[in-house]
Amino acid sequence: MKKLRLGSFFTVVLILLVVYALVKWGIPAVSREVTTLPFPLPVPGTLMFFYMVLTVVALFLFVTFSEEGLDDFLRPVKKLLRGGYSKIARAAVLLAVPVVVSWQVYEVVVPKVEVPSSLRIQHPSSNFPKSFEDKKNPIANPGEAQVTAFIEQAEANEIEFIPQVQEDVENWMNEVEPDHVLEFFAVEPVKKFLAQLESGSVDRETARAALLEKNLFEGRALYAMNCRACHGDSVAGDGPMADGFKLRPINFTDNGTIETIVEGYTFWRVTNGGPGLPTEATPWDSAMPEWKLSLTEEERWKIILAEYDLAQKTPRIPESH
Amino acid sequence: MRAPCKLLAAVIAAAWVSAPAPALAANVPSKPMPEATDDHLEQGRGVYFRRCSFCHGLLGDGEGPAAKYLDPRPRDFTLGTFKFRTTQSGELPTNEDLFRTVSRGLPGTAMQAFDNDLIKSGLSEDERWAVIGYIKTFAQEFDDPDLDPVATGKVIALPANRPPVTPETIAKGKEVFEKAKCWSCHGKLGRGDGNKEFRKDDWGFPIRIRNVTHPWKIKAGGEVEDIYMRFTSGISGTPMPSFIKSLNEEDRWYLAGYIKSLQHELTSHQALQVKAVTADLPESPDDDAWDAAEPMDMRLAGQVIAAPRWQNPSIEMVTVQALSNDTDISFRLTWDDPFKDIVHDEAREFDPIEIAKVGSFSSYVEANGMMPRALETFRDSIALQFAVKPTQGTKKPHFYRGSSSDQVHLWVWKADLDAAGERGTEEGNARGWKQPIKRQAEGGQQIAGQAKWDQGRWSVVMKRPLNTGDKNDVQFAKGLFTPMSVNAWDGSNGEHGLIMGLSTWHYVFIEAPTPVSVYVYSVLAFLVAGGLGIWLMRKAEKEETPAEVDA
Repeated sequence: MKKLRLGSFFTVVLILLVVYALVKWGIPAVSREVTTLPFPLPVPGTLMFFYMVLTVVALFLFVTFSEEGLDDFLRPVKKLLRGGYSKIARAAVLLAVPVVVSWQVYEVVVPKVEVPSSLRIQHPSSNFPKSFEDKKNPIANPGEAQVTAFIEQAEANEIEFIPQVQEDVENWMNEVEPDHVLEFFAVEPVKKFLAQLESGSVDRETARAALLEKNLFEGRALYAMNCRACHGDSVAGDGPMADGFKLRPINFTDNGTIETIVEGYTFWRVTNGGPGLPTEATPWDSAMPEWKLSLTEEERWKIILAEYDLAQKTPRIPESH
Repeated sequence: MRAPCKLLAAVIAAAWVSAPAPALAANVPSKPMPEATDDHLEQGRGVYFRRCSFCHGLLGDGEGPAAKYLDPRPRDFTLGTFKFRTTQSGELPTNEDLFRTVSRGLPGTAMQAFDNDLIKSGLSEDERWAVIGYIKTFAQEFDDPDLDPVATGKVIALPANRPPVTPETIAKGKEVFEKAKCWSCHGKLGRGDGNKEFRKDDWGFPIRIRNVTHPWKIKAGGEVEDIYMRFTSGISGTPMPSFIKSLNEEDRWYLAGYIKSLQHELTSHQALQVKAVTADLPESPDDDAWDAAEPMDMRLAGQVIAAPRWQNPSIEMVTVQALSNDTDISFRLTWDDPFKDIVHDEAREFDPIEIAKVGSFSSYVEANGMMPRALETFRDSIALQFAVKPTQGTKKPHFYRGSSSDQVHLWVWKADLDAAGERGTEEGNARGWKQPIKRQAEGGQQIAGQAKWDQGRWSVVMKRPLNTGDKNDVQFAKGLFTPMSVNAWDGSNGEHGLIMGLSTWHYVFIEAPTPVSVYVYSVLAFLVAGGLGIWLMRKAEKEETPAEVDA
């Protein structure tokens, strides 16, 4: 055992190196296992500083615990300073230490070219009008009159679609010559509704669910026409235009985006876009359009309905007051 | 017949799996396509209805509501013609080919990756197979067993021997590039500038010949294996032929390696650092002085922020360099554009008034039909945009032409002015996008510089004094970050006005000389540390006792 014993000085150096390596590379490596993210989480510089200071304090206490301990620690240092190892080693250390110190000082004081960073608040509320807080998506919650109108249209086999999808639906009608216009809806609620229409007994809840599917269909078409270029086919913020924007389009499939806000907030963001943001949300970097200049309210609500559906998320429920 | 086919398919699948590029592994199915049952087709119909029909149409004819705004247009499945295959020229694709396209999408087009391992709300493997089963019902060709590329042995395998790409294989590939006359369309440097006019595809739409140096636009994958497949299988419906007969396997592999070697690697910094020099600044784009200037690549998106929206920009990257001396600053902008467009016909400009209304059918400009996308119509143009006021904190004008309270300064170079021998770059100001750029008075026009188009690339120099004293101009100072962005127009792509490509804010930063204090502090630190060391040394020597020396 005695043979393997390192001097107390070299033990201290070794411990410092091991702690540094653990914090610098060990924690990020473990973080990948824990978070299962495809990238490691680095330890922030200030935290690193604290860890190292704590280690140094602990080692200082350990070394200075007894007179012998301190002597033991200082022995190789003193030996070096006296030239006990070799004169060349002493000269090298006496030169290297000031060089390293001076280089560190240079690094600290030299002006650096760093892009001005800007902290950004993603969901600012400083100018969010209270009136939007309780807004409910009228398209997601069709009223009785709308359900009745939809049943009437379905019974007459003349569903009123938004103009944007009409051409495609008409082409399909001409080619397929179906019994009912809604047959292209390959979704259960509409299939059930069509079966009920045929049997002659339609219940309003089934009709409501089918109407919601019709609204979703139109919303998805409007999303594909207006939003897809930036936010992507799969609402993942990765559309063909996305790489051109420093502030990337929001990925709606991410936790912490559209599911953490109320529908009214989504509507407000879609309506007023980047220019409607307060300064803390860096409006000058946002490419989000003021959709009130192009889309009707109904179109915006339809898109929001489809957006939540594609992202498989639900909006936050407004707090009652 | 079935067993050898399966074996062949397995070998091909194994070849894909064992390919070195990780990008390829992710889009190999874990199992072959399931048998087409009614349930499976109905599942596929559901997926198609929710995720595909808006571009590809309810009938699979590529005429969905979003289709007419896209270039390239969505595939018309009813024709049974598919571009990206691992089968011989003119053949149908394999199931795995379709699976690959659905899984990883076609970069540079509206067809995105649907692999739910890549994208959370994508499609599971099961859903992808189901929708492929449904898509195949659109074209009768898939029902004909005589046209099955697997059963008839029309599948192309990667070469068994695939040596890694080295400078030697790249040199051999370059020879193949010359011999096979790839340059006659793709240009000598691969920038897609080989043709003097547009070519058309089988559907009558203009073909954009691929600039092979831009990897983000290479639709069916930019890895060597992908590139090999493209000129081995050919691209159906386009003038891109198959070279399976005219080039041997080895040559095609070398050629693929050469094409891969042409791909541009994007820089990632957001601040252009401007070297301060003592010499006069260059006004010519060919000046050797530019070799010393750091390049910064700026990515552009289509202008989709306000009507008229445009999602088919052809200029997606502009590289900027700059040099400065004590009095002036000079920028060089380079970007790829296969056609030199130097005329401008204002009468043919698009009037956006109808599509700019609330509730208009669409606020996007259609890819074809609304405005001419032709040669000899609109000019090529580029603009550098700067914030006029120095930035305070993070506050900047909006990157899309500023706002009424915060104006921007634009340096707009126009190819037609330049070609006419006039000053090519006009200075102007904008306060938001709603009003056109306001040209500054003649006395305010101070930008000098020349431009050049060569081998599918524009290079434009803009030189100006650092300070002009004009309150509408950007003023440069050493050590300051100035917000900078670009707007770009490719005339033959129909671009003019707000129909353009644009970048978001980057920065330009002129290097300041290092202050003397920095050196003083460093030397002081050296002296103090050195002195301390020598003092400790002396102290240690004095303390020396025989006992300690022995130890």
